[in-house]
Amino acid sequence: MTDFSSVYAALRRRSRGQYALLAGCCFFSVLLITAYVCVMRAPTVLAVLPEGGDSRKQVMMIFALAAVGCAVFTTYAAGLFFREKSRETGVFLALGATRAQLRRELFRELAVLAFGACAAGAALGAPLAWLLWQVFRLFVADSAEMALTFDPRAMLLALAFCLYVAAVLFLLGGRSVARTDVIDVVHESHKSEPIRAVPRWYGWGGILLLCVGGFLGYQVPSFCVLVLHWYAPEGLTAIFYLPALAGLYMILLHTVVNGWGRRRHRYRDLIATSMMKFQGRQTVRSMLVMTLLIAGAYFASFYAPMLGVNAMLSYDARPADYAYHWRADQDIPQEDEVRALAEQYGVTLTSWTQAGMARLAVDGYASVEHEGSLGVTWEEEYRERLCSDLFLSESAYTALTGEPLDLAPGEIAGVMDAQGEGQGVFGGTATLVTNCATGETWPVTTVEPLRNDLLFGRFVLDDGDYARMTAGLPADWRETQVFFNVQNCADTYDFAGALFNEIVDRSDPAVALFDAWDPVVREQEIAQNGYYWCDPEYLEENGLEAIDYAQRDSSDFRLYWQYMPQFRVLDKADFVRTMAVFLVLFIFIAVVCFAAVFVIAFTRCATIALLNRQVYDDLRRLGAPDAYLRRSARGQVSRVFLVPALTGTGLIYAFYTMILYFNGDPAGISPGEAAGMLACLAIIAAVSLLQYAVYRLTLRRVCKTLSIG
Amino acid sequence: MLTVQNLHKAYPMGKTTCEVLKGISLEVGDGEFVAVMGPSGSGKTTLLNCISCYLPADAGSIRLNGGELTRLRGDALAAVRNRRLGFVFQDFLLLDGLTVRENILLPAIIGGTADAQAEARADRLCAIFGIAAIAQKYPAEISGGEKQRTAVARALINEPLLILADEPTGNLDSKSARAVIRSFEQAKAALGATIFMVTHDSYAASFCDRVVILRDGVVWRTLGRERRERAAFQDALLDSIREMGREGA
Repeated sequence: MTDFSSVYAALRRRSRGQYALLAGCCFFSVLLITAYVCVMRAPTVLAVLPEGGDSRKQVMMIFALAAVGCAVFTTYAAGLFFREKSRETGVFLALGATRAQLRRELFRELAVLAFGACAAGAALGAPLAWLLWQVFRLFVADSAEMALTFDPRAMLLALAFCLYVAAVLFLLGGRSVARTDVIDVVHESHKSEPIRAVPRWYGWGGILLLCVGGFLGYQVPSFCVLVLHWYAPEGLTAIFYLPALAGLYMILLHTVVNGWGRRRHRYRDLIATSMMKFQGRQTVRSMLVMTLLIAGAYFASFYAPMLGVNAMLSYDARPADYAYHWRADQDIPQEDEVRALAEQYGVTLTSWTQAGMARLAVDGYASVEHEGSLGVTWEEEYRERLCSDLFLSESAYTALTGEPLDLAPGEIAGVMDAQGEGQGVFGGTATLVTNCATGETWPVTTVEPLRNDLLFGRFVLDDGDYARMTAGLPADWRETQVFFNVQNCADTYDFAGALFNEIVDRSDPAVALFDAWDPVVREQEIAQNGYYWCDPEYLEENGLEAIDYAQRDSSDFRLYWQYMPQFRVLDKADFVRTMAVFLVLFIFIAVVCFAAVFVIAFTRCATIALLNRQVYDDLRRLGAPDAYLRRSARGQVSRVFLVPALTGTGLIYAFYTMILYFNGDPAGISPGEAAGMLACLAIIAAVSLLQYAVYRLTLRRVCKTLSIG
Repeated sequence: MLTVQNLHKAYPMGKTTCEVLKGISLEVGDGEFVAVMGPSGSGKTTLLNCISCYLPADAGSIRLNGGELTRLRGDALAAVRNRRLGFVFQDFLLLDGLTVRENILLPAIIGGTADAQAEARADRLCAIFGIAAIAQKYPAEISGGEKQRTAVARALINEPLLILADEPTGNLDSKSARAVIRSFEQAKAALGATIFMVTHDSYAASFCDRVVILRDGVVWRTLGRERRERAAFQDALLDSIREMGREGA
């Protein structure tokens, strides 16, 4: 050994563990981020997540959490590496090595390590994402549109993260060499990271800040839109979540330093508590990252049970087994044909009701947006023909639902869903109704809304008014609504499929319309802008798939075709397939986030064990038995696992409940949502079991490191 | 060889500063073995760290063979540390990943002079200090005394002008401490080394040619061994320390 590089190589061989830990952390972070971005930016996923929609925002938000988590984790691992390496650096400096000499060797090592870890992580990220996706396809849900394709541009995000990892390594490495106080550098690895005294009010103050931040962060965007008529930039409104983050940090600090409540046995956990306290900022930061990741992971995990339970309950609550409607100019199977088809499949119809509906324009206030210096603002503008809605006569409503109804002339009633919700989607009020064929208008008074899941979004009129107002409407402004029931509905899947196919086959391209397509809005938009965004030829420009009869099993078709039949047995059986991409995407995100949590917790505990080996040796010399040492180790490991788990779980459950409450229309939690929240508790129980298993594994490893038998 | 003149050093302590060295002046001659003693807080280690250029002095001069050390920066400072100074630390500061022989060669490797001559010199130092048998072992496999003798050999590998030792026997049992002091004597006798040692230990200091006693950041007294027996010199040192204690009381 005659040159400095060979000294470095020899030291590297002896410190393989440290290098492996850093390389492993970098590799793991890049792997997770790459896998995540590959799925997040996959055309398969983007096709089903509407641009600007909540789902896409949620995916992005959790990605931001995961990216911050992995970034903090990598920075922490790098900091730890250079801290351990500082003694070596100090000795070299003390013996007369120049900083340039050290920097050259260190940077050469870091270049190899960063490139190797990042390249491996980035290269394996996409295969990992693909593999997980295929596993989910096999065991969770599958459909034709689940075929996963990747967009190579997603790798740019992964590359950006790789650059961050490399930058952190070189920045911290450069800083560790640039330090001037040799004695300080030599003793760096022996220093603890004390936390300053933490006042006891940090606990309750943190909870208060957490609640205030969570509430403000969620409500301020709505306040800006509804009260200030301003679409505030999301980056700006996100600032209001910051108190929640500060509060969370305060809660964790208080938990680590002070603990909650008074300890009955003050000296019993003295070692574990004190050691935890003096692991300092890094422990609290790791816990903060874990807490946020757990919250993000649960947020993603709750998607499937909330959606599933809610959907199943609403399918069960439908007042009819089969419901469909068609435009009067279409040749769609009617009662005789349906009965004949049912007979072919051995299905017995127990009831059949059909009624006419007509499309009339209603007045209301449109939101007119303006681009200004503050961004987009909007103002209300009254329009006599705001949009169109389907209207039923009161007798038709009674025939379909069996509910007697008597409206006075000039009165209209909107139909909300079975819980009386849905005002955000369907206003349910109007003061003027227009027959678009004749141009005649009638002032109306809106009365108490009605409730029916299958007629949600329709208006009901007095019979006389209906006849008068709809007179002269051509066939493409008229529709027919059918409800029918069958014996043993659950056994009629094949019949339902056949009827669905028959309806689709006999619908002509003129009704291949997106759910939001509205002839009244179309007329206005074309007059104003020269085109209508909801026309099939413009849908793709707006990030939406055009309705295609050939893709009748796709989620786009099932969710957004304006004339999509509502067949209970079909909807229930095909739910998982229809929502497959959504479900699998969110399960994938949850798995990635939980994997990150487990690795961070394991690494943190392994580090605590490595750093405190001397303390445990000293305790053993003082006569501490294995049981005492084990309890002390367990105290620390359990805290690393338990505190973020409890905080993250409690936090997201409360936040989710708040979202559901305020999303209610009016505010409140529906029975379906309450059932969904119960299902989420089951998810929490299952994940907690998994966490416990990882905790036991980690504890065993820590005890082995500390030579506790 | 080494001339320290009117050296001052203060540390910030909250809003005030604590002056640790208050104008220290001393000289170490070529081939001399000098110890610095004094109670805790007297400024011994700070003095050594300033001479080693680990800490910048606030005022005063430190000259090594006529060259001013306090103004050195960057590569020039590194070169002085590497070629003109040798260091022995209380906690040895050997690199665990290198063998004893590699640790000894380290300053030569850093300085780019690790050739066959340096290797021969390392082998000779191993022989002189009785660590040849453990030359291929790693620090974790040898005793504290052996570690410190390795550190002494490392300090001598580049044939420096001056060896600076900070409490070299502080972490050792008496037998190991005696072996380390013997290694300093051997370095002085066989290699003509000049040694400047900070110590608490009157036994270790009694082997020196001269002992500088510090109190409250100034030189309180300098005692020369002259022709005295080691034990008599140690008694004289202990008497001086007792006297200093009485004055302070």
